[in-house]
Amino acid sequence: MITHTVIPSGRTWHFRRRVDVPIWIRIMIRLLAVILALVLVGIVLKLGGFAPLTLGRKALQQTLGTAYGLQQAVILATPLILTGLAVAVGMRMRLWNIGADGQLYLGAFAATAVALHVKGPAPVMLSLMFIAGAIGGMLWILIPALLRAYWNLNEIITTLLLNFVAVRLITYYAIGPWRDTTAAILSSTRRLPYELPMIGNSYLHIGIFIPIIVAVLLTLAIQNTRWGYEVRVIGGSRSVAEFAGIPVLRQILVVMLLSGALAGLSGIIEVAGTTHRLSGTLSNSYGYMGIVVAALANGSPFGVLVAGFLLAVLLNAGIVLQTSGLSVNAMVAINGVILIFAAVGEIAAQYHLVRKASDSPGEAGNQGQEHVEDEQV
Amino acid sequence: MMDSTLSTDTPAEGTQPSEPSSIPALVEMRGIWKHFPGVIANHGIDLDLRNGEVHALLGENGAGKSTLMNILSGMYQPDAGVIRINGEVVNFRSPAQAIAARIGMVHQHFRLVEMLTAAENIHLGWEETPLLVNPKILAKRTKELCNRYGLHVEPNAKIWQLSTGEQQRVEILRVLSRGALVLILDEPTSVLTPGEAEELFGVARALAASGRSVVIITHKLDEVLAVSDRVTVLRGGRIVASRLTKECNRHLLANLLIGQEFVSRLHRVERQPGKPVLEVHALNALSDRGLLALQDLDLTIREGEILGIAGVAGNGQSELAQVLNGLRPVIKGTILVDSVDLVHSSPTSFVKAGVGHIPENRTSMGLVGELSVTDNAILREYKRAPVARGLRIDSREASRFASALVERSSVSVPNMKTQVRHLSGGNQQRLLAGRETHVASRLLIAVHPTQGLDVGATEEVRRVLMEHRNNGSAILLISEDLDEILLISDRIAVMYNGRIAGEFDTVDSDRELIGLLMGGGSISKEGA
Repeated sequence: MITHTVIPSGRTWHFRRRVDVPIWIRIMIRLLAVILALVLVGIVLKLGGFAPLTLGRKALQQTLGTAYGLQQAVILATPLILTGLAVAVGMRMRLWNIGADGQLYLGAFAATAVALHVKGPAPVMLSLMFIAGAIGGMLWILIPALLRAYWNLNEIITTLLLNFVAVRLITYYAIGPWRDTTAAILSSTRRLPYELPMIGNSYLHIGIFIPIIVAVLLTLAIQNTRWGYEVRVIGGSRSVAEFAGIPVLRQILVVMLLSGALAGLSGIIEVAGTTHRLSGTLSNSYGYMGIVVAALANGSPFGVLVAGFLLAVLLNAGIVLQTSGLSVNAMVAINGVILIFAAVGEIAAQYHLVRKASDSPGEAGNQGQEHVEDEQV
Repeated sequence: MMDSTLSTDTPAEGTQPSEPSSIPALVEMRGIWKHFPGVIANHGIDLDLRNGEVHALLGENGAGKSTLMNILSGMYQPDAGVIRINGEVVNFRSPAQAIAARIGMVHQHFRLVEMLTAAENIHLGWEETPLLVNPKILAKRTKELCNRYGLHVEPNAKIWQLSTGEQQRVEILRVLSRGALVLILDEPTSVLTPGEAEELFGVARALAASGRSVVIITHKLDEVLAVSDRVTVLRGGRIVASRLTKECNRHLLANLLIGQEFVSRLHRVERQPGKPVLEVHALNALSDRGLLALQDLDLTIREGEILGIAGVAGNGQSELAQVLNGLRPVIKGTILVDSVDLVHSSPTSFVKAGVGHIPENRTSMGLVGELSVTDNAILREYKRAPVARGLRIDSREASRFASALVERSSVSVPNMKTQVRHLSGGNQQRLLAGRETHVASRLLIAVHPTQGLDVGATEEVRRVLMEHRNNGSAILLISEDLDEILLISDRIAVMYNGRIAGEFDTVDSDRELIGLLMGGGSISKEGA
């Protein structure tokens, strides 16, 4: 009574989401994406009359091949990673802190205020500056956080707009009340009396350990505490969190303040470890780069460590190439191409290409398999 | 290939219609197979659809009705089988191809753009939409369509401003405007008031009279009897019978629909109900839209008792479940659990009082799809020892608790780290039911606990509820499936317009009276 007429299946390729992706495949796909981007950039450079291989070797040599280059990468990576972690912690609850740049400025501002106006032994003062930096970043995100938690106002807009306010505010202090009057050309504060100790006779200060410590603590907190569990549930589904009686609004507030505090920490480290003076150009868009880092890392703290370091290498390589005759604009374009390929690779790692075969009903007998593909509702 | 776990103990019928008609079939489906991982949705189904008839596809949730019609409308491709339209073999790869072959489906969950007007939705993605349009042209064209098919909608109203009945008319118009000869309606009355449902049946009959073939997918017996010319009953992915409706009565259909073997497996321990667990007095609460959803509602449930709430969706059942778990504020009234007033308490206090909740929508309220089985299992435990250790979560205790839960509730999972969204609906519901019954030492509130599950999973969830009752807990069962309520409840309360319209012991219950009360007493039921 049953007629079996098997319809010939179309021989088309389909993307199918992977359920479990082995870690080495993820790494390989991302590497492949970056290599593809480099090949593309190389072809364009070649057409433009440059020697891509020579340039590439030079860039690689001077960034990763020397102790100086590596140290420069670590110094640049520090603020990128901290702002990256600031953005990543928000991402866990689907909150987008676009204002890490502003919070970085306010963290540096608060730390500078302490350094310029309070006197004390260096260790105490540096501790105070760290606390002030974190509080400065938190205060700068407080209003967006309250608006988001209690009035559901989009945090992307509010945090972003406050960045512009922050730059103007710091510039005002740097060229106004706090300006270094001993050197008339500078539009920055005088050199801070307290700075982070250096490591041996390297170019590195001890602030470079902070991102690593923060990444470890964040991972532990998210994976192994009640707080982290609540954050993960809220991030997964707000309605389930409400169903379970998790205080969603309070956690929105807490996570956003934490995000601001981390960005603020990057500000204090930058001003007390690297620039030593506060100015309106303290951040080279570190807060925005942090968004890129967090997105590339897909919100994972350890991923942020890796992505932040690689982005720092990329940016430094750009500086090297500029000394070889490439324009700034070309560098920005090259970085953009590499980051786009990396981002595509990130998504591509979650899929695999299958030739869709029509399953015969006989195969349906293996009842043990109860995985449901995403497309099945 | 044919497994025979589902015996046809009911009068087995050939898959051919019992009364061969002289009119050739418009649509012939032959030997349709479709499997999804873990479940065979269609076991070699044969189905004929004719011009001028309203054909009811009757079956429980998960019987394979929607899958079959999704295959006909090009949403799914069958694993095997042929479809002929007017004798020609067709092979749809997309809904667009089915629409071109004049087959259209109105899905249970509408596919309308909320922010656009009715006219815009009808004209969206339609080949015959003129290149240059403005609201006036669209409104005029829509008016013409309304007149042609006798379905009225306000062309310039935005979808979100329309009632669900009106939205459904927009969907039907959209399908008809593409020239559909076969109109498939998936559970069309599940979102309608009784009045709107009557109106829809009139439309369906009129469309059939104009020579179209109308398919109504339903699990409600009354609808079959009220509107269809022919009825095909599906159970467990197979056709049980296909008959002319005039040869059927409610009793016969109910037997075909449910099948005997499932009833007997539920073991109900005869016991006297104990002391009251839940006492609700004069409870008032608002709906999301700010209207009074519960009006001076009174309820009592005792130990070892299942109280089934019957009613048409939207009469306050969802709000009642939410209020009884601290998820929705109470305006006035009392909620006593073991004589402790829990009005204005948080969800956590309800859990502490031993109240569990299998929510209406497991994927959006009960489980977090992107978290692991373990993480989902400990949702009610993460603040309590031994899973919680101070502010930390003891991951070893967490996975121990989760493994025990998975074991006890026979959830089949590849491993405990699997994301819950990769589990089948049945496994998700078993996990959720297991977690909530563990919490619900006193009272379990189960809302549509078997919705969308296949037959086996449905049976399993019902068994869990019954066992929980036998162990002395009180259960509030809210279901749109009257047969389910009649099957497992000790008492039945009918909810209408935010109130309990009537209460019966299940043994004394009268289906017709329940139906009458569900409709607010305003519609009279057809006699069986």
